[in-house]
Amino acid sequence: MLTRGPAVAGAAAIVLSGLLGVGALAAPPPQPSAGETLYRHGLLSSAQPVQATREAGATLNGADAACVNCHRRSGLGSIEGQIAIPPIAGPYLFIARGKSLEQQGVPFVDTERINHEAYTDESLARAIREGIGANGKPLNYLMPRYQIDDATMAALIDYLKEMTVKPAPGVSSAELHFATIITPDADPVKRRGMLDVMNQYFIDKNNAAARTKAPTLYSSHAMMFRVERRWQLHVWELTGAPASWEAQLRQHLAAEPVFAVISGLGGSNWAPVQKFCEAESLPCLFPNVEAPGGQDSDFYSVYFSRGVLLEAELIARELADAPERPRRIVQVFRAGDVGEAAARALQSVRAGSGPAIVNRVLKAHGSSGELIAALRDVGSADALVLWLRAADLSALEQLPPATARVWISGEMGGLERAPLPQKWRATTRMAYPVDLPGQRVVRVDYALSWFRLRKVAVVAQQVQADTYLACGLVSETLNHMVDAFVRDYLIERVEMALDHRVLTGYYPRLTLAPGQRFASKGGYIVRFSDPQGTKVTPLGDWITP
Amino acid sequence: MCTKGTVTAVLVCSAALLLAAAAAATVARSTVSYQTPAVTLVREDGKSVSLVRELDDGRPVLLNFIFTTCSSICPLTSRTLEEFQSKLGPRAATLHIMSISIDPEQDTPQRLIEYARKFHAGPEWQYYTGTVAASLAAQRAFDVYRGEKMSHTPVTLMRAAPGHPWLRIEGFVTPDELVDDYQKLLASP
Repeated sequence: MLTRGPAVAGAAAIVLSGLLGVGALAAPPPQPSAGETLYRHGLLSSAQPVQATREAGATLNGADAACVNCHRRSGLGSIEGQIAIPPIAGPYLFIARGKSLEQQGVPFVDTERINHEAYTDESLARAIREGIGANGKPLNYLMPRYQIDDATMAALIDYLKEMTVKPAPGVSSAELHFATIITPDADPVKRRGMLDVMNQYFIDKNNAAARTKAPTLYSSHAMMFRVERRWQLHVWELTGAPASWEAQLRQHLAAEPVFAVISGLGGSNWAPVQKFCEAESLPCLFPNVEAPGGQDSDFYSVYFSRGVLLEAELIARELADAPERPRRIVQVFRAGDVGEAAARALQSVRAGSGPAIVNRVLKAHGSSGELIAALRDVGSADALVLWLRAADLSALEQLPPATARVWISGEMGGLERAPLPQKWRATTRMAYPVDLPGQRVVRVDYALSWFRLRKVAVVAQQVQADTYLACGLVSETLNHMVDAFVRDYLIERVEMALDHRVLTGYYPRLTLAPGQRFASKGGYIVRFSDPQGTKVTPLGDWITP
Repeated sequence: MCTKGTVTAVLVCSAALLLAAAAAATVARSTVSYQTPAVTLVREDGKSVSLVRELDDGRPVLLNFIFTTCSSICPLTSRTLEEFQSKLGPRAATLHIMSISIDPEQDTPQRLIEYARKFHAGPEWQYYTGTVAASLAAQRAFDVYRGEKMSHTPVTLMRAAPGHPWLRIEGFVTPDELVDDYQKLLASP
């Protein structure tokens, strides 16, 4: 069979790296098998796009016809409207009927077809090619009929057989292990705030589970018991240079296998963490990161917002719509901070259109004198974009009021608490990538009351509210998953569950779908309403750039 | 109530969502009147337009609701419209096809252009996005809102001219059936 080689090689590589000691160089990722290539990308062994037709003659090919679109990466299917796409991971296809799923160690999934005949390799190939099920009846209209050569078919069937539904590492019959990741450049106050929330959430979760005295049973079709496993949190604190983080993370994962990463806190560079999560197929759910990066094709990292990168687009849009074109766009940021990525993002959106962009880079921990010098020649014909933290915004007090139009980052400055001097308030607008204070108050109060009752000190409100939200979302999603502890499935179920969520914290709404990795898509441009205080006024509607 | 063709009620077991292997797509047709809401949408060319005016430009209209990251239902319904459009040939030019996003924050005009290109949308086929509120108002008005985007169901709406009732087609209709429906709709008084 075509697929065995690479898959086995991959498994061997993992074992080897364990023997050699983690921290050693990562094994190169195994080449995807021919089965996987067809399943995920719709390509045959010949590298040609697969052709498929539907009953009524509609044709589709290549990536549009790939199995993954409907049956998903986990192979556990999906639900869209009134249509349940069944699981096609091996055990669900080849399972012997007559015994219950749990007797055969196969977890319950709510898309499963009950009472279908077990497939054989031959009947499965017929189903895929001719649309005839194991019971001899035609398959659903949505299922295309594929033209697949024998070798690729064998590879695909092998791939389906290899799809595991066994609990992922970090899951035992009594415990669910999670990690949270903190980079060394993370803000220490936010770090404390986040960990306080997580520790308390895990205590609460385990107390609640203990109170319900749920029997440690597994699911069945007749009666579904939810297993209440104890949640265990591992805090992975990284040290040293970013180049060493992936090796450190591999070491942590080997020593403390976890099902998923919840929340987390980054500084200016989260890319090595995202890369690690992709390489290890480890869900990394809603970390507190101000400038998330990664590739479009990344699957395992999911964020609430694009943070300052979204702000850059909000500001770019304002600049594009402005009736008067500025002479220059002057961006100011500190070296090594997320403002650098934001400035780059704004520059790329504005590339080739309009005025010149001038970037002024301040030293990482430089003085306010440097900031003042950087702004000296900025005049009324310019647009000024300040990617700066609270301390730098306070220092603007030393300058006369800006004559230029000014934008600041809400994410970096502290939203409505940004210490913007009174004399700068008339000309300054703020990118505001969350819901307005008056509109989010009820949703955020829910988290704040929870903190108050549990004596969790509020030291970094948004990070803590987002962390609480992340924990709640994972908990809710796991309820839908019953006992199918498959990592890919966790991501897929988060995508599905998010739309239902009513309490969305700082964000007006959260939605995801296959290929979407940022749940909140927009923001406001606001200005301070008064010379002092924290009241802000939106200058228009919620914008999704 | 105008029912024709293979009309079967869709039976849904909400607990287990059992959808047994069905030989053919299950399609239900009805004739319904809708009140178009006075909302502004954003067309894929970036222009803000009135939904009422887009619908009432005098041409027959085919209306459906999609989102571009939808992986199962929309690719099929969009492919069906693509083939419907090509089967109509030159006659398609006198029709207005409108696809409104039910995930408008994700579906920017740029993403809609890419999606339209993928399905070879002709000049008569436009895509619309806008605010969440505007999209919801449109979905509610045409009774396609199902709580959230992942709960959507395949619905195709057709109307011969402004002021006429709508033909509502629920389920996976084939391109040939759609051509047939369209011709009958235009022929009916």
